[in-house]
Amino acid sequence: MEFVSPEGLRLDGRRPMEMRQIRAEIGAVSRADGSAVFEMGNTKVIAAVYGPREVQNRSQQINDQALVRCEYSMANFSTGDRMRKPKGDRRSTEISLVIRQTMEACILTHLMPRSQIDIFVQVLQADGGTRSACINAATLALADAGIPMCDLVTSCSAGYLNSTALLDLNYVEDSAGGPDVTVGILPKSEKVTLLQMDAKLPMDTFENVMQLAIEGCKAVATYIREVLLENTKQLEYRRGV
Amino acid sequence: MSSTNTSSDLSSEMEVDAFRRLFPLRFHERHLLESIRPDARPLGKARDTSLALGAVASAHGSALAKIGCTTMLAAIKMEVMTPTTESPDEGCIVIDFHMPPICSPIVRPGRPAEAAPVVSKQLSDTILSSGMIDLKELSLVSGKAAWMAYLDIYCLDADGALFDAALLSAVAAFSHLEIPVVSLNEDGRVVVVSEEDAGKLEKEAVNKEKRKLKLSTVSFSLTCILHKNYILADPTAEEESIMETLMTVVLDSSFQLVSLYKPGGPVLACTSAIQDCVALTRQRVKELQKILNEAISDMEVD
Repeated sequence: MEFVSPEGLRLDGRRPMEMRQIRAEIGAVSRADGSAVFEMGNTKVIAAVYGPREVQNRSQQINDQALVRCEYSMANFSTGDRMRKPKGDRRSTEISLVIRQTMEACILTHLMPRSQIDIFVQVLQADGGTRSACINAATLALADAGIPMCDLVTSCSAGYLNSTALLDLNYVEDSAGGPDVTVGILPKSEKVTLLQMDAKLPMDTFENVMQLAIEGCKAVATYIREVLLENTKQLEYRRGV
Repeated sequence: MSSTNTSSDLSSEMEVDAFRRLFPLRFHERHLLESIRPDARPLGKARDTSLALGAVASAHGSALAKIGCTTMLAAIKMEVMTPTTESPDEGCIVIDFHMPPICSPIVRPGRPAEAAPVVSKQLSDTILSSGMIDLKELSLVSGKAAWMAYLDIYCLDADGALFDAALLSAVAAFSHLEIPVVSLNEDGRVVVVSEEDAGKLEKEAVNKEKRKLKLSTVSFSLTCILHKNYILADPTAEEESIMETLMTVVLDSSFQLVSLYKPGGPVLACTSAIQDCVALTRQRVKELQKILNEAISDMEVD
């Protein structure tokens, strides 16, 4: 099947190095300490952060750091066919672990000992790149909650189909069986915290694809910074500063 | 006596936020004396309500309802199934209410909210018993194929009056629902026709075009809190946690009583209190009908 037409257009009309449209909103859930909605094309994700709060399970309390917990779940109607088991299955557990470890790398946990930070992510619509959307939403929610972090974490995916490197795969391109590289970076220092890939790829092509994904991450970081600045301005107006 | 004196001395010096946290009942009662609530609403008024139809593009019918900060997302997916032998001409509706951990600080993974299965059962009973949907409309081929409608409601923000918001979103999702086109394939089974195949239909279509579900009557509800002699309409989560006696009244569009639900609680309701609640609900039903009709006409313009 042709994923890139001879004119260089993908199935949804994008160019190979073009990302889907991103939209983010802070403070969607009023009951949470911090929350955000993040959309990448048709993939919609809500993240809510509760914390730092008292550790619920005393035996898990860490005396010199905060405990970070994460849960990823998908709504029943998020995919094409109705899902029977939206959480507790292997994929959800794996993604929960990935998101937790990625965010733990940048949260300054030593500033909040004996406490717990809960990150909950709910996928409302899934169209490829849910992992990346979840990490971006979690970053915004943590910033909204005022939890100290050393840097933002942004994530984007890239693939390689019909001998072209493609940025930000949607569901159809992802399920084509080609390689899928997901990268998560700390944009200021350009350090990589998350790197996942499946299927086979020669080394030099892999470097191109990974570089493309990193460019995508930086674009997401620019957008996230704008959103956070705008949010801070609104807070200033409300306080009458 | 002396303890109340000391606490009233303390309260006169304290900041408002601290007083609200430490003596929540007294904080709210001070407001009720002036017939107002902390968010400046009069006692019988509900919060701002908004509806958006078609929030989930991949579902056959969906709606997002917001009452104040309480947010509910409802989506309906239809699948073809074989009807039971006792009722070969009827389809089936399955209603499920979820409270994911994002919605409230009291829900934790591994320990689901107590309210979730309660609201789920209440919704199921109310929608199926109100006769809003005629199950015979969901039949395709008598005895062989019928529609199974899965209604999933997700609470995205739990700030009180969960049942009201959930019922509103369910009713709106059913108003938005469009039954997809189906056809018989070679094995004689009924399959859903996808968008691309609809143009080139070689096999005979069982129903030629997408149609909307006919709703005979639409039900709306209002939850009230009873506290001493006061009746507070549309409580927030804070009010629900302090004053525990709730009463939910469900009326349909012709103002007939569909359901009355008062699950115990320390305050006993006399007949006049119940009648007052029903009167408040009647007001609310008029407001909600207007909001639903506006949302539907906005969709049709698009």
